[in-house]
Amino acid sequence: VSVKAGRRIFWAVTLALGAAGLVLSLLAGPVRTTPGDLIRLVGHPDPIRWAIVVDLRLSRAVLAFLVGTALALSGAILQGYFRNPMADPFVVGVSSGASLGAVLATALGFEAAAFGFSGPGLLAFVSGLGIVMLVYALSLRRGGFKVETLLLTGIAAGALASALTSFFLFMRSDSYDQAVFWLLGSFQLAEWGQVATVAPWIVLCLLASVWLAPDMDLLALGDDAAQALGSPVRRVRKAFLAMSALLAALAVAVSGIIGFVGLVVPHWVRLLIGPGHRRLFLASALAGGTFLLYCDLLARSLLPAELPIGVITAAVGAPFFLYLLHKKR
Amino acid sequence: VSRARAGRGERERHREGGPRRKSLSGVLIAAALLGLPGLSISGEIPRGRGRVLETRLPGPAPAAAQVIADDLGHPFPLPAAAPRRIVSMAPNITEILFALGLGGRVAGVTRFCDWPEAARTLPKIGGLVDPNVEIIRSLDPDLVIAFRGNPLRLVERVRKLGLPVFVLDIGRTLDDLAPLIERIGRITRSGERAAALAAGLRRRLGAVAAALRGAPARPKALVLLYGQGLWTCGGESYVNDLVERAGGVNVAAAMPKKWVLYKREAIIRDDPDVIFILARSAADFETGRERLAKTPGLAGVRAVKAGRIFALDENAASRFGPRLVDVLDRMAALVHPERFGGGP
Repeated sequence: VSVKAGRRIFWAVTLALGAAGLVLSLLAGPVRTTPGDLIRLVGHPDPIRWAIVVDLRLSRAVLAFLVGTALALSGAILQGYFRNPMADPFVVGVSSGASLGAVLATALGFEAAAFGFSGPGLLAFVSGLGIVMLVYALSLRRGGFKVETLLLTGIAAGALASALTSFFLFMRSDSYDQAVFWLLGSFQLAEWGQVATVAPWIVLCLLASVWLAPDMDLLALGDDAAQALGSPVRRVRKAFLAMSALLAALAVAVSGIIGFVGLVVPHWVRLLIGPGHRRLFLASALAGGTFLLYCDLLARSLLPAELPIGVITAAVGAPFFLYLLHKKR
Repeated sequence: VSRARAGRGERERHREGGPRRKSLSGVLIAAALLGLPGLSISGEIPRGRGRVLETRLPGPAPAAAQVIADDLGHPFPLPAAAPRRIVSMAPNITEILFALGLGGRVAGVTRFCDWPEAARTLPKIGGLVDPNVEIIRSLDPDLVIAFRGNPLRLVERVRKLGLPVFVLDIGRTLDDLAPLIERIGRITRSGERAAALAAGLRRRLGAVAAALRGAPARPKALVLLYGQGLWTCGGESYVNDLVERAGGVNVAAAMPKKWVLYKREAIIRDDPDVIFILARSAADFETGRERLAKTPGLAGVRAVKAGRIFALDENAASRFGPRLVDVLDRMAALVHPERFGGGP
């Protein structure tokens, strides 16, 4: 198969899978729904079925897709940013910082909802972004700026945030259930308000990253080379770091920490369609959304009680990832 | 590999000379970071909630609909007519609904709602911490009664679907029991029956207190949960209140928690006069008692030596409902047999 044809197959298959996943999401659930029910819904909506299919299932599917998009795009950006395939939204501390914020809010009983976020969601968002700024500021101080310093500072800050998170969880053992939600992720609470809050920013970041993708390609040559070729390296780096942090913080704020998507999806995509960043960003966004859509389907249909989605993403993602790696070799 | 170490000057140069689109992207990101509040409008996007409400309540609501607040402070308009399809999100709520004669109006319960027997066959909405919003919606309830032990995020999600939700606090002492029943009576429009039930329970609580008035000693009591580990009830649990009303002293009262894992040494030190085991069956109780007697060091404890280890019905004692008073009657008689007509 030629590269071009391979790419076409990738797009077609992912789009088809995404569409099928969306329909499946509307059909699957404890309340039996047939395709006929969905069609009837268009004509004369029965309020109960409307609430179940549109308010609960559809909003949830859309949110899962958006969050998958955000996480995969954030991971793709960071892997390019650090020129390191190990990078994902965890390494710069966003996820740990955000979970600390959420758990803190829970422990302190901070419930004030705003901008479509819950109280913990809001604090998760703020602290997720805050920790990245802190990490960035810390790595700037030592005479200029080094990517390695940023990476290591991020890991250290993330570890510190995780330690504090565990501490607060330990102190408030009665908020365990909430803690599981924030540490392993879930779309149980999805609603249209959340979709409306995160969607514009995710779309904006996707467009901006695709626009800036040629500069990311240059970065792969090394900062000096990129600079010499006319790319404003520092500013490009700042923009990408900010976007990846924003994407990850948004994702955590509405759905808790969902691991593995940001690490694995860009890898699959790179193996399948090549390293060019414009294509990589777009394809990661689409594949990440589709992947998380299916993971959420599994999370809510495997057992009578819902599984945290973080369990699914890792359990499904890791073996498939290993398979792809070996096949490629 | 050399990395860029661009100094400030270099950065400045780029800011001026860089392509225009880069600075645009900077603005974009800044807007994203700073301008989030601008989205507050989109957070209010209609979610079809109005539609649901309209079809649910044909005709205008009565003008003088009385609004009360639930225990979370959310306004709750009292229904004009008695609710016909009630979803109960906790076993004690189910128990109270049945005790009020509303069993026929309960549309859904949790999988833990096994009392009374009739509750077992009702549709299940899931568990206490994992109720399923979709199933709740499908039952088309006109009243959803939750309690603070449910994940409030999920309860909020149910409320956002436009269903009338009333959240109740978890009782801390038996004094909260009668008001809880009266509150449930109020929102289900069965106030009279609730008042009668509450009055009966108050009377029985008063009778126990009267029987124990002037009791010379307060025996030390330990309440254990049957199962692995020495779990007991701390000072924040209503079980602590049960022990006190039964004329005893909870040895774990100083622990500021509901459930605490007690240490063997602490039991030896506290030397309880009487031990209760919350057990689901007689067999469980026997196993628990044997295990306790065999635990090294506990043989010398007063309650073990005197054989004052008793079973309590875990099913009744673990939910904050009317049967707690039955548990209290039994406890009081076992802690102070001299006051309740001889030995247990």
